[in-house]
Amino acid sequence: MSDLDALQATLTDEHAAVYTYGVLGARTSQSATPVLYDALVAGYRRHRARRDQLRVLVGDAGGDPVVAAPAYEVDGRALRSSDVQAAALAIEVASVEVMLALVARSTGSVREWAVTEAVWSAAWQLELGGTAQTWPGAPELG
Amino acid sequence: MPGRLLTRRTTLGTALAAPLVLGACDIDPPARDDASASPTPPPPEDSELVARVVAELVRARSVVDAATSSVPELAGRLAPVASAHAEHLELLVGAVPDAEPPTSPPPTLAPQILRALGAVRRSEARLLREVRTACVGAASGDLARVLAGVAASTAQHAAALDAEVTA
Repeated sequence: MSDLDALQATLTDEHAAVYTYGVLGARTSQSATPVLYDALVAGYRRHRARRDQLRVLVGDAGGDPVVAAPAYEVDGRALRSSDVQAAALAIEVASVEVMLALVARSTGSVREWAVTEAVWSAAWQLELGGTAQTWPGAPELG
Repeated sequence: MPGRLLTRRTTLGTALAAPLVLGACDIDPPARDDASASPTPPPPEDSELVARVVAELVRARSVVDAATSSVPELAGRLAPVASAHAEHLELLVGAVPDAEPPTSPPPTLAPQILRALGAVRRSEARLLREVRTACVGAASGDLARVLAGVAASTAQHAAALDAEVTA
């Protein structure tokens, strides 16, 4: 996998993350569960910015940014706030893994950006009910 | 997900074999099926980089030890941090079995919960900065991934401590 392929793979995951956060936000009541709603909005904005940055990085690497699919599969049963929170947590768990893979495939400013995003997704998991892990994103090291 | 399922041995073996072989250390080098193949140019700066991260982890561990010594009731709260330090150290130090693990004298902390927690929080923040810097500077991508994992874990434990203090 080339560096450009790694960026494209990361962008593909970000398209899905942005879509899923949007769906989860639509299923969440701002008035009934304001803390969860705010966490979802913050997550959505972070991943949207991440997606936009990845588009720039792919272009800088000489590629055409992969486009988003029309829709992504989201668990239709995730309607209760606890299920929505768990689904958002799953996004961040997966995001750490994806960003660690990009760290391994990149250097310099791209790697610095990737580790920053990995750290953010790891810490954000605690806002979504997650707990601190010894090897987030790389459980096989444990 | 494009996760790279590497075992801890293959990960650090691949990441560190070259620099540590250069340093005459005994470390799980990857099998060389083709003895005639020219060796990959080693990134010797990575062995120094790992040594710096190990020293920083040992320092952070000493702060946690000092906190639990000063305020024994913090032992339960800080156990996950201590456990993570131990596992991160085990992986990094274990890659250099002949190396002498560094030591760090424990700081003296006042026997007050918030002060002790504050010292650990500051220590973890420093650890995170150092590990991030090492990650960005690593010549080996696999080593960078391991260090990014350490940074991510440190960030999680720091966030958990923040939640403890502000709760």
